[in-house]
Amino acid sequence: MSTEVPGEQGGVPRESAGSPEPGEVLRELAAVRRRTRSARHAYWFPLVLFGVLTCAAAPLYVSAATPPAGANAVMGGAAVVGGAPTVLGGMPAGGSGFYLGWYWLVALVGGYLLTLFWYRWHARRIGVETPARGYIATGVVLTVLVVLLPLLSHFVPFLGWLWPGDLWIRGTFAFLIIAAGLWILARAERSVALAITAAVYTGAAVLVSLYNVENLLFRMGWNPSPGNWSLTVLPGILLPAVVLLVAGLAAFVAQRRIRSA
Amino acid sequence: MSEPEGRGARPPEPAAADASHPTSGLDDTVHQRHRLGVLTITAEAQRADFGYLRDALGLTPGNLSRHLMVLEEAGLIQVEKGYEGRRPRTWVRITSDGRAALATELSALTELVRRHGRGNGAAGIPPAGAGES
Repeated sequence: MSTEVPGEQGGVPRESAGSPEPGEVLRELAAVRRRTRSARHAYWFPLVLFGVLTCAAAPLYVSAATPPAGANAVMGGAAVVGGAPTVLGGMPAGGSGFYLGWYWLVALVGGYLLTLFWYRWHARRIGVETPARGYIATGVVLTVLVVLLPLLSHFVPFLGWLWPGDLWIRGTFAFLIIAAGLWILARAERSVALAITAAVYTGAAVLVSLYNVENLLFRMGWNPSPGNWSLTVLPGILLPAVVLLVAGLAAFVAQRRIRSA
Repeated sequence: MSEPEGRGARPPEPAAADASHPTSGLDDTVHQRHRLGVLTITAEAQRADFGYLRDALGLTPGNLSRHLMVLEEAGLIQVEKGYEGRRPRTWVRITSDGRAALATELSALTELVRRHGRGNGAAGIPPAGAGES
């Protein structure tokens, strides 16, 4: 092992008369790596951001689940093919997912751009940068693909096999795009906690995409009046949002505590 | 300063030396502990700021610059100099050669620990890239 450079101090200890043990060097490097990783972790922001964006979409889900007065319910997905982000809007029971589709298009692209700015700002402030481009690119590319898919498959029927089965009909496909991004981000952040969050969130997103989770609440005694029936979509929307918000706030507290220690 | 500079500075091994000994995997450019620190930090992030490296490694700006120069000349890092507003800012990014050299160095050190450090508490040290939090 080489000797020290004059004037060195702090972080990595000075070498004494002899060479340090390889084990000591490895332990120091592991500590440096841990500190660097803790410093650059900033994933609480996208978790909270997409949790808030999901909560903000709740009124649109309620509105989309409300049948228009004096009219038969229209299968929204079929009505808006080519005119709106169909897959993102889904086929709500009450009417059209037109506004829902546009909301998620703007929210997803805007959310990923905000996250990109967040990570850049965090890197400038802290001095270490997380490789978050893969996360941003995954989210944006998936969003664009999902928006273009109905249009493309209209002209190229062969692309119809790309349709995501029943996963889109409840208007919750945006959750699956968010989930895919979280896996990429967990790898970029090298965070087990975020990987666990991604797993839980993916489970919640798949569940609410394939199953009416309000049925569980009905069995537990929830019995909304007919006038409030459209509110029954809320559990399926708020469940993934709660996962994101709880994980994001926990990460915020943990990351703040580590940095102030 | 007794450390040799550059990657080719190590004296040649005797012909009879055991080429498979872990020390044969040590590279003087990488092996210097502060340069090892620079590579470890930059391998953990997409890029690291000069100020962060200076504080994390407890080096003076002059010393850090010298270490960065050695690593850059060896092709193990890339140094990007720019401005943020009017303030100059230097970012350091590890190259693929740098990642490979770091992995080789850590493997050699781990192997040394395995061969000579059994039972001294060094076991269980995570390899590079491991230890997710």
